[in-house]
This record gives sequence, C-alpha cells and structure tokens, in this order.
Amino acid sequence: MIYIFGSLLIISFIKQKDVLLGKKRNLVLFLILSVFGIALGVVHMISPYIPSIAYTLEKYLK
Amino acid sequence: MNEQLSMRQIVFMYLFISLSPVLRQIPTALAGEAGRSGYLSPFWSIFLILPLVSVILLLMRSFPGLNLYEIMVHLAGKVFAKFIIILYILWIVLFLSAKINIYSLTLQFTLMPKTRSDFFMQIMLILVYYALLRGSKTIFRFSEFSLGPILLLIGILFVCAVSRLRTDYLLPVSTINLPSTIKASKNVIAVGGNIIIALFFADKLGISLTKKQVRKFWFGALAFIIFSFIITIFTFGISGASLTAKLPFPFYITVKSISFFNIFERFEVVVTLICILSDFITICIMFMILMKLIQWLLALKERGFLFLPLAIIIYYLSYFVSSTQFEFDYLYKTVIVNINLIFQYIIPLLLGLICLLKRKYIKKQY
Repeated sequence: MIYIFGSLLIISFIKQKDVLLGKKRNLVLFLILSVFGIALGVVHMISPYIPSIAYTLEKYLK
Repeated sequence: MNEQLSMRQIVFMYLFISLSPVLRQIPTALAGEAGRSGYLSPFWSIFLILPLVSVILLLMRSFPGLNLYEIMVHLAGKVFAKFIIILYILWIVLFLSAKINIYSLTLQFTLMPKTRSDFFMQIMLILVYYALLRGSKTIFRFSEFSLGPILLLIGILFVCAVSRLRTDYLLPVSTINLPSTIKASKNVIAVGGNIIIALFFADKLGISLTKKQVRKFWFGALAFIIFSFIITIFTFGISGASLTAKLPFPFYITVKSISFFNIFERFEVVVTLICILSDFITICIMFMILMKLIQWLLALKERGFLFLPLAIIIYYLSYFVSSTQFEFDYLYKTVIVNINLIFQYIIPLLLGLICLLKRKYIKKQY
C-alpha cells in the first residue's frame, strides 16, 4: 500500500504543482505531512504487529 | 457552487453523525456503567447539552458571520487561538483514526468477517476523497436527504419491536440507581457534544441568526437526547442490560430478533448500512474540519492539497490507535469520551465565559 500512496503523492504533487510551488508554505507543509505519513507507513510495514496505543494504555494504566 | 449552509443542514448533519455512536457505543457504555437503569442517562445529559447549545448560540450571536477561529482571535488573541487550534487538530486526528478503525471493525463484525480491515479503510478513503471533491454543500445535502428515511426506518423497527419489549428488563429502577445513571450520562454527553460542528461552519450560516434558526438548533439537541433514549430503551428492553453491556454492537443483535409481522426480517443489514453511512459522513465532515483547522493555523489560501498526505497519516494511525474490538472499546471508554468532553464542552464553555466577561466591549464593536 505504501508504494501506491507514494505514487499518489507524486501524482498529487504534479497535479497541484502550481499551488504547491506558488507558495513556499504550501510546499513545506505538503512535504512534512507526506514524509510523516510515509514514515508511519514504513513503521507499519516493518513491524505490522506493533502494540497499539490502546494496548499500551491498557497495560500501563491498569 | 454556493457554499452557504442553513441551520437545518447543520442540525441534520449533527443528528446524522450522531447516529452511529448512538446505535453502537451508547447502549453498551450505559449498560456497562449503569446496568438496567442506564436508559435514564440520556435525560441527565440535558443538563450539559442544553447549556452547550446556549453557549454556541451566544458565541454565534455575539460574533455574527465568524467561525470558531475568528471568534477565538477576537476573544483571546491570535496566540491563544492558534494554540487551541493545534489542540483541536490533534483531537480530530485521533477522532478520525478511531472512527476509521471502528468503521472497519463494524463491517468485519457484522457482514464481512473474512475481509481484511485495510480493504474497508481504503474504500472509505476513496469515497471520502470523491465526496470532498464535490464540496461541503454536497455532504450536508446528503445528510439532509438521508436522515428522514433513516429515522422513518428506525421508527418502523421500533413499532415492530414494541411487542418484544420486556418490562422486567427495564424495571424496577430505584433512587439508588440514580448516581450511576448520572455518571454514565457522560457517554451520551460525549456524543451530544458533536453539536459544536456548528461553530466550525458558523461563517457559512449568514450574518444574523433568526428565531427560526435558533429554534431548529434547540430542536436538534432535543431530538438527539430523545433519539438516544429511544435507542437505549429499545436495546435494553429486548436484549437486556447484562447482554447489552457485553456486546460490541448490541443494537445490531437486538434488531436481529425483530420481524415485520413475520413477513420481513433480517433488518440488521440495514442497521449496519445506517452505521456505515453515518461513519462515512462523520469522516467526511471531520476531514473537512481538519483541513479547515490547518488552513486557519497556517493562514493558507488553498487546502485541497492537504487531503492526500492527511489521509495517509490517518490511514496508518488507525492501525496504531487500536487493532481489535476490545482495544477500541477500552480506548473509547478511557480516552475518547474524556477527550471529547474537553474539546466539546470545556473549551466552548471557557469561550462562552470570556464572551460574557467581554460583552460590553464586543457590543460596541458589532
């Protein structure tokens, strides 16, 4: 799925290049959010059974 | 496309997005915390939902034609407003991740247990993207047109189920149960607080609030409370509080036992469909609010390019938030309900208080 998302991000970038390149703030925000999303995807791909937030809370709050 | 909204659309949207938590989470939570008397809890929520409605109306009347961010800037300055916006962004991200998670879990629990959850999530995100392309008006219109038939259908189900209601599942209730029903009412309050969506779209409501609009807004809050009461009494009366407390989707199981004069049955598929539609609209509206919040925070002129990166973040976060129904139930009970109370009640009430304190100054301005 991460490859599909990556391709979609590139397509989205090309489609919206006028908006993104027109203002530095738009480009930086798009890049930060994309990198964060892809990083989450990489973590999920590497260890798909990582304990969830709910599990961690349940473990430490009880 | 004209992007102006009506109060009726906001109220219908509020009721529409409240459908799935009312059908799915509220009966379980009330039965778990207040037992047999849990169906009385929706009435206690009046004491918090109605003041919230009056605070929202106060803010909208004091700052006509302004949205939540602009109201906060006027009341407490830009720095405070931006700080609160950051908190709202975090809340919406968590809310959206949990919503997508429970949507896929619901589909797995009810109709397609063998299908992987990522498939449901991907389909949902594609549909949300398509809906957002059409604009906010389309989403509001969809909820406006769909709510009537859905409520009619639930009404028919209720009529069919009246003969199956067992009074021994509902009575006796004594004064000893009242404290637990008051405590459990926070589950209803946490859903009823969704009415604050009106503040996010207040700038699209026009310059002045008419008496008719105000009446519709009050009606929306009252309709939510009555609807929660009916669904809870319906679920408790047929399935019993002890069974309801243990089920992830008790209304679904309740409807399984209903038939229309022994001719039509298996209405549970329709209940799943209602929940999915409500989840879909909730995800659309929350995505819209999330993008609006980022736009306000960074003073952006365009926000369309935000959808895809945000969708990717939400998609993967939904795996990290919870992975099973039990985990989701725990997260909902301990985190989501309490966080909802902060963002839906405490912050707007704080704004209302500042608004009252600064009333004279505000009146001079407008």
